[in-house]
Amino acid sequence: MITDAIQLDPVLITLKLALITTVVLLIIGTPLAWWLANTRTRYKTPIEAMVALPLVLPPTVLGFYLLVAFSPQGFAGKLWSYFSDTPLTFSFSGLVIGSVIYSLPFVVQPLQASFENIGKPLQQAAATLGAKPVDIFFSIVLPLSYRGFFVATTLGFAHTVGEFGVVLMIGGNIPGVTQVLSISIYDHVESLEYSAAHIYSAGLLLFSFVVLFIAYTANRRLNIRL
Amino acid sequence: MQSNLIHYKKNTGDFLLDARFNLQQNGITVLFGPSGSGKSMLLNCIAGIEPADLAICYINNATYDHSKSCIHLQSHARHIGYVFQDSRLFPHMNVLKNLQYGHKRVTGNNSYITLADITERFALNSLLDRFPHQLSGGQKQRVALARALLSCPKLLLLDEPLSALDHAAKQELLPYIENIQRDLTIPVIYVTHDLQEVLRLADHVLVINNGIIIDQGNLADLCITQPLLTQDEGKSFILQGNVSQVDEKQCISTVLCGDQPILISGPPLAAKQPVRILVHARDVSLCLTHSHDSSILNILAVTVNRISLPENGKQIVECLLGDIPVLALLSIRSVNKLELKPGKQIYAQFKATAMVK
Repeated sequence: MITDAIQLDPVLITLKLALITTVVLLIIGTPLAWWLANTRTRYKTPIEAMVALPLVLPPTVLGFYLLVAFSPQGFAGKLWSYFSDTPLTFSFSGLVIGSVIYSLPFVVQPLQASFENIGKPLQQAAATLGAKPVDIFFSIVLPLSYRGFFVATTLGFAHTVGEFGVVLMIGGNIPGVTQVLSISIYDHVESLEYSAAHIYSAGLLLFSFVVLFIAYTANRRLNIRL
Repeated sequence: MQSNLIHYKKNTGDFLLDARFNLQQNGITVLFGPSGSGKSMLLNCIAGIEPADLAICYINNATYDHSKSCIHLQSHARHIGYVFQDSRLFPHMNVLKNLQYGHKRVTGNNSYITLADITERFALNSLLDRFPHQLSGGQKQRVALARALLSCPKLLLLDEPLSALDHAAKQELLPYIENIQRDLTIPVIYVTHDLQEVLRLADHVLVINNGIIIDQGNLADLCITQPLLTQDEGKSFILQGNVSQVDEKQCISTVLCGDQPILISGPPLAAKQPVRILVHARDVSLCLTHSHDSSILNILAVTVNRISLPENGKQIVECLLGDIPVLALLSIRSVNKLELKPGKQIYAQFKATAMVK
């Protein structure tokens, strides 16, 4: 039976991973994008390039270095051992960290663009009206860049759902712990269980299309409103 | 006696700003100069939104900037209201929220104005629910002006607030700007490159060119002496006085300028009101005798003081009415025909329109 081969675990792990990663990305990405949009330091360009690296690097390269760093002898692995007894490699936590790095540009770039788009003039006006910088961020910048946040959230989430290489390198393939959808499909194909692979693949295809469709529709609607 | 000293120096590579002046505590100070003379940059420095190389700014016994002592107040701490050329209303807030933005952030007992007072004075009650994109250009600037005042500023900066508006909208907004100065005792710096706005609004004038304040003084004096304010066709002079008599039937008001009555036709003015009368030199004619059969209302005995060098076939004849200068733009031919020379007693006649201050 096909249904025996289909398990819900990979779906749940994938959604959980994408959700947590997106939340973490928004928390880290917002100040980073804000800083990049406003800084005049000469380090801006190298930092922008570093943020964009996952766009061009093969995920296996990223995954390989993360694996080295996450290992108990690696830099991140040692640091992690102070906080936790379990190793970072082949764990869900390791997956989250890897996904955050992997999807960083998809969150930071739209946010940075929308922050830059708001520009200085409105913020200057707010400042002369007595608003401090943090106040300006929450009262002017945040409400005016909700489109950027929408795009960043959608792309960050969708991109994490679709990752494969990084997860394979650092997460292994532990059913119920680190086995996400894309890897589960790979497994099924390897063992020639095409019908199960079909169901997962079609589901992912449909999901991705719907997410992007909603994103583009909403983006256009919001565009007209502003 | 408090003095408001402002001095900003800033080198951007291709432009040098080095503006130093004493700001008058009362009235509207118009900062006048051609485009690209550094007016907006100076205003941005005063507002604290643009850094300067050297900055000194004392206003009302408060130090905003003093680079030698490393004092530089952030713009949110300056209590300086700023009305921009492009209004800069917050697009995601309606008019009411825009007005409240600065007002809510006024701290302690610095508040000297209420929302209700301002909305009524600026006739904004019907606009409160609208969003900026639903407002006309003039309405936007009216809201921006009200918003700046509601932040209870100690100094108000206006950066060409009328330049993006058409004539009708300008006329609609001007009285509101004039009223600020009448109702509040804060200094106002008004930036413009429009001569008509200078003549109408200025109590004091700062003339800036290439980043340097090249002249300053009260309007009536600078009108006569400052070449940038006196391009020939636009050359004008100002008479200031108070309305002494109003004949409502004939629609004639008498304005006493010093002890010289000037008659003004048009809608009756309110008695005792201070009035500024702008007279274009091209509207003044001179004659040797007092003509009693003229339709012109104002015929004044004056003394020729100075005659300018000819330019485009015309000369400016500066006469004195007591100690008030009266200018006439005449052709060389007329000057010769009347044999005008300094010291000669003649009569100046002109029609006058008043501008309410």
